[in-house]
Amino acid sequence: MRAPIKDARYDDLARALERMREEGAARNSVLPFADLPGVHFARLFLVPESKDLGDVVLPACLFYMADVDAPLHRHLRDLAGPFGSGADAVFGHCDDYPPEPSPGTRLVWLLERMVAPAATYTHRIGRTVEQVHDEHHLREAIESYLDPPGTIPAQLTAAEAHGRVRSFALGRDDLKWARLGPRRVGLGYRIRDAVHLVALPLAVLLLLPVLVPAVVVMLLLIRRLERKDVAESGPAPPEHAHALELTEDHVAQNPFTAIGLVKPGRVRHLTMRGVLLGLDYANRHVYNRDNLAGVRTIHFARWVPVDDGRRLIFASSYDGTLESYMDDFIDRLSWGLNAVFSNGMGYPSTRWLILGGAKDETAFKNYLRNHQIVTPVWYSAYDTIPARNVDANSQLREELPSTLDERAADEWMALL
Amino acid sequence: MDGAAVSKVRLETEDMQGLLARGFGSLRFANFLLLGVTDAAGAAGTLAGWADQLTTARNKPGDIAVNLALTATGIEALAPGVATSSAFSEQFTTGMTTGYRSRLLGDTGEDDPRGWAWGGPGADVVHVLLLVYADSADRLSTRCAELVGEAESGGLRVLHRLDTSELTPQENFGFHDGISQPRLEGLGARRAAGEVKAGEFVLGYPNEYGLLTERPLLPAAADPRGLLPRDVGGSGSADLGRNGSYLVLRTLRQDVDAFHAFTDTATRDAAGRPDPAQAGLLAAKIVGRWPSGAPLVLAPGQDDPSLADSNDFGYHEFDARGLACPLGSHVRRTNPRDSLEPHPGTEASLEINRRHRLLRRGRSYGSPTSGQECGVHFICLNANLARQYEFVQHTWVNNPVFNGLEDETDPLVGRRSSKRSYFTTPARPVRRRYTELPQFVHVRGGAYFFLPGIRALRFLTSPT
Repeated sequence: MRAPIKDARYDDLARALERMREEGAARNSVLPFADLPGVHFARLFLVPESKDLGDVVLPACLFYMADVDAPLHRHLRDLAGPFGSGADAVFGHCDDYPPEPSPGTRLVWLLERMVAPAATYTHRIGRTVEQVHDEHHLREAIESYLDPPGTIPAQLTAAEAHGRVRSFALGRDDLKWARLGPRRVGLGYRIRDAVHLVALPLAVLLLLPVLVPAVVVMLLLIRRLERKDVAESGPAPPEHAHALELTEDHVAQNPFTAIGLVKPGRVRHLTMRGVLLGLDYANRHVYNRDNLAGVRTIHFARWVPVDDGRRLIFASSYDGTLESYMDDFIDRLSWGLNAVFSNGMGYPSTRWLILGGAKDETAFKNYLRNHQIVTPVWYSAYDTIPARNVDANSQLREELPSTLDERAADEWMALL
Repeated sequence: MDGAAVSKVRLETEDMQGLLARGFGSLRFANFLLLGVTDAAGAAGTLAGWADQLTTARNKPGDIAVNLALTATGIEALAPGVATSSAFSEQFTTGMTTGYRSRLLGDTGEDDPRGWAWGGPGADVVHVLLLVYADSADRLSTRCAELVGEAESGGLRVLHRLDTSELTPQENFGFHDGISQPRLEGLGARRAAGEVKAGEFVLGYPNEYGLLTERPLLPAAADPRGLLPRDVGGSGSADLGRNGSYLVLRTLRQDVDAFHAFTDTATRDAAGRPDPAQAGLLAAKIVGRWPSGAPLVLAPGQDDPSLADSNDFGYHEFDARGLACPLGSHVRRTNPRDSLEPHPGTEASLEINRRHRLLRRGRSYGSPTSGQECGVHFICLNANLARQYEFVQHTWVNNPVFNGLEDETDPLVGRRSSKRSYFTTPARPVRRRYTELPQFVHVRGGAYFFLPGIRALRFLTSPT
């Protein structure tokens, strides 16, 4: 959600967000995100007034992003209703906010300011916040059960050991829910998903005779543009780096939020849209279970064009430090990053859209830091559990109620 | 263009300080002097005199070796404006004790820099580090006395003397240390397997990405006399970084009694009787090697001194699950070898590992039997503090969720942030998890230094 900020209210809003940060995103007195049902991650950040490439003023805006369990309208109704006074305290600084807000007017205001991302990534589609917490609780209970030496005699087979753990866990009232597998995503979603799965390849197939020459022409055009591109250089100013550091590395995860201007011209805009369309498709149908092209440390990510596509915002929640995150980008995702972000002004120079770019370690790390913006309010519902461990907990739960053969049981016991 | 990498590596060993090439193992006595500048012009003169006497990487030293490193404030004191205007790394210029860096490195609580013996905020500001090595205690004290005399009559003040104990293969916990060191490409006579690009440790050479690491460059006009080499990257700038390296020094106190008490208590039988064999095995599992140095992946059951110097093995290759060497053990965290994601056991995994190597040059101090404090003056060299030292410290050593674990930090040297400090030793059919691990290593001091090339030191100490 994007909302221009009222004249002269920017500093007030910045202070309000700063207070929320100091109180902690989970339990702050304005919007205690831990009390809002179904929220995995949420963030509030400000983008100050600036200008586009044609010197047109882009107004200062407040952004609110949340990664929530379906359905989305439940979250919006929570914000507009039970958490309305908190919403007022934040969004009241923005243009055209209803003077006497009610759940209805708030909802309308929020809906009108929604911005659709061009692409999203979800570490595992359909896994709810409640499930993440429950499965973590299950693991902790099992680990404590196993801690006293001799709980599982050394001479037992893995299958027998698994059976003992199963009897223990399923015998406990608070863990009985683990008898059943996780709830599947709704039928409606699955049908839409299946249609989506075939629709894009079908369209590509039909348009192939046009697309192939078009892509070739585009690549040649891009290669010509790339020769004239100017890459930025130099590290982020120290005060910018320090402002970012204040909000980083407090827990096992971090937010990343960045914004940049898109290079001028139709070729770049069209390329960015096309790449994001493909990326969104790949994230939904290929990288929808536990990794993004081999990277297992990203919980959620989204790519949001704003200002009629003149700027692009990238926002993610990831495990570990920015340094390790950037290393993952360089080592494993440079081609994908290049394809998207080389359409942004100042990106390290690329060749044929996907080569070079992020492979220049220093230039790339400087570029990201320079374009990163402070995320004053960022909430994580499970900030001590990396995505990889969330996955392991799910596997633990899924195979708990089954009867496993020796090999599978041995692998299952190794999760503990 | 940083991409214009040099194809053939010839290291300018005559301009590199000796510590980059060797740990001076034949010189078993060492003293590290921390100095402060009291008079900039005088200090510059003293340091310029020392620059000609420093032991370089070209030849093995005889009976004595001296190397010298500077903090960012030291460089600022000698040559105002240079440290801030020349793209030294941000970690170096802001130093080891900023609030953010303390959080990142785990220097909080008991390890807060405010409680350090040296290097903390409010303490005397360290400018210069002199590393002095000798083949006998007498020669060391004579040379140190000379250097101290020159320092104190030459614009410098001795703030701290970090003594070390006579070098032995065993560190204070009783384990053979320093076995796995990266081999620098271009140093040995012939190429060896597993070499790491020189640019990972020496500035001005291609690193593991085939690029030149960020380095302090100055406009050529700042060096009218041409004391500095010109940037090999082709920018035309004067390269203050070339043949230099970042040096991390941290004084780490080792609580040897607590370590042995823990392994003893945790392995007693039901009747409370000690089991020295099991205690020894647990200690080895914590370290990942036996006291002789034999790696657990090759000697899972008991120590085997014939494997003491073994260094040619992979973890994923021999022990993917950590049944022999636990996933969270000290050596498996600090050098995971082939066990890194996303493709453990492959060359790609080793390639990632090579971007996080450290050249370790620490020396122990004190003795566990003396009743006095003992520990290690940990020293490591690297070209990129963020990607190497800080990454290893944060993402591997102190990361409670390293490699899929939970609430576990490095069982030997990690900090403990909560009571839930676990250490898991995988086993069949079920793992054993030890709880409430005490913290065995405490930080007592530290700073980031720059170990300059000889020409760079001459430039920094030349009158302007």
